[in-house]
Amino acid sequence: MLGPSIKFLPKNEKGEGLLPWVIAVMVFLTTLATASAVAIGGGLDRWSVGLTTSLSVQVVNPDVAARAQTTEDALRLIRATPGVADASVLADASVLKLLSPWIGDLESSNNLPIPTLIEVNLISPDSVNILALKQRLRSMSSNIRLDDHQAWLSQIYNLASTVRIMLSIAVVMIALSTIAIVIFGCRAGLATHAKSIEIMHLIGAEDSVISKAFDALYLEHGLKGGTIGVLIAAIALFGLNNLVTDFGQGLISAAIPTFGTLWWLILLPIVTCVVTMMTARVTVRHALLKLM
Amino acid sequence: MISFENIGMRYGMGQEVLRDISFSLDRGSFHFLTGPSGAGKTTLLKLLYLAHRPSRGLMHFFGKDLASIDRSDLPRLRRRIGVVFQDFRLFDHMSAFDNVALPLLIKGAKKADIADHVEELLAWVDLEDRMHARPPTLSGGEKQRVAIARAVINKPDLLVADEPTGNVDPKMSRRLLHLFIELNKIGTTIVVATHDENLVKSVGAPILKLKKGELTLEKGAESIVDPSPNSKNADEAALSAMAGASAAAQTTSKRRDEIL
Repeated sequence: MLGPSIKFLPKNEKGEGLLPWVIAVMVFLTTLATASAVAIGGGLDRWSVGLTTSLSVQVVNPDVAARAQTTEDALRLIRATPGVADASVLADASVLKLLSPWIGDLESSNNLPIPTLIEVNLISPDSVNILALKQRLRSMSSNIRLDDHQAWLSQIYNLASTVRIMLSIAVVMIALSTIAIVIFGCRAGLATHAKSIEIMHLIGAEDSVISKAFDALYLEHGLKGGTIGVLIAAIALFGLNNLVTDFGQGLISAAIPTFGTLWWLILLPIVTCVVTMMTARVTVRHALLKLM
Repeated sequence: MISFENIGMRYGMGQEVLRDISFSLDRGSFHFLTGPSGAGKTTLLKLLYLAHRPSRGLMHFFGKDLASIDRSDLPRLRRRIGVVFQDFRLFDHMSAFDNVALPLLIKGAKKADIADHVEELLAWVDLEDRMHARPPTLSGGEKQRVAIARAVINKPDLLVADEPTGNVDPKMSRRLLHLFIELNKIGTTIVVATHDENLVKSVGAPILKLKKGELTLEKGAESIVDPSPNSKNADEAALSAMAGASAAAQTTSKRRDEIL
């Protein structure tokens, strides 16, 4: 496909040096958009695995003795349910810590009717019929509430899906813009090198010989632009990673890109230079057909 | 070998620049093309070196009707035509050597196989010391000689030269003319466009005279060229360089075709 080319195109023609930088900017944006789309999807999956295999059961009886009894009964029923890996009562101190943003830091409940929380871990997300378990707990006591996180998790999923679709559209649009820029650059290059092309044409060069010189030139532009763009994007993602790590665990930190999910981005410069070269080849061949 | 029948040529919707041009060039013929500025010489030359198709009429090149030749076969035809452009059209970023070697590289030859022949031809046009110089550093006459060396390196069947001696001194002018005559003797068809009456008289070749887009053919006067034995030997060296270069390119090209 490549082969040796006759380097008849003078280098460093005015204006041509900008093309790699324009490509670099486009690749930078593509990388960020692609990385964000991939990271949001991957991060959400990783983060939601913990939620879909865990349930929270609240026992909200204000009577302490009755609440303890109900908790014991519920715990027994849950542990006996097939598909449940384990279930344990969250210590009061942990519950108080969870509630601290609303009620402040308290060392004890001070007779506040705080609920008892049972943390349930499932073997797998669909190992238990959640609805049936909910009904059985409900029939045991009206003070038991089972939360499988689905209500708000689905909202987060919907939001994430929308963001992913928008980012994917952005990637496609940036890629198309890059191709359009290369076509414009190539046409400008053809105009700049019109005399050189005419000489080659008149001394018997085939279209393939002429377009190979452009292949080589635009391959170089694409590789240069692609590498610079991905490198700058990698630095930006690395900085973002460090920044987000400070937020601690949760959705944001789960959604930060990792090398494991983004290693293939190092292929972007290669993809860029192949796309750039092929675009240049098609544009040049098309233009050459207009010559006799 | 080449014939034009009722050729008419116009650019876009403009007036015809050439009208009802008919002539033929036999293998090994030598013609001058003369005429005042604006007579259509450049357009006729462009048709001869296959830069344009005519607006009407029939053109035959090497026994083939141009209208029936596929576009992909035109480069092969162009390689049989050597062109000396009036404005040289050299690549400024390439050395004189690389400019001369270009037609052979296009044919598929390797630089190492043709280096000796290119150097020999450059030596013949007195540029052995300037072969690595780039055109912007060469004088008008030196550029002219590089352009001529590039046109003949491939030992073309047809050589089209537009004012080939316009920028060189009389001595070099005579040497270049001798080369054209020697090339002509071994079968190359030559067309030289010129305003130089002395040059036309010195060869005594037929003259294609263009006036306001119409062509007439005049018989040439008797030749007054008298090449000295020394220059004859030099011409033979140049011819041998061209033959060697052409053969080297041909072999590589054949090898490439076999591989493909």
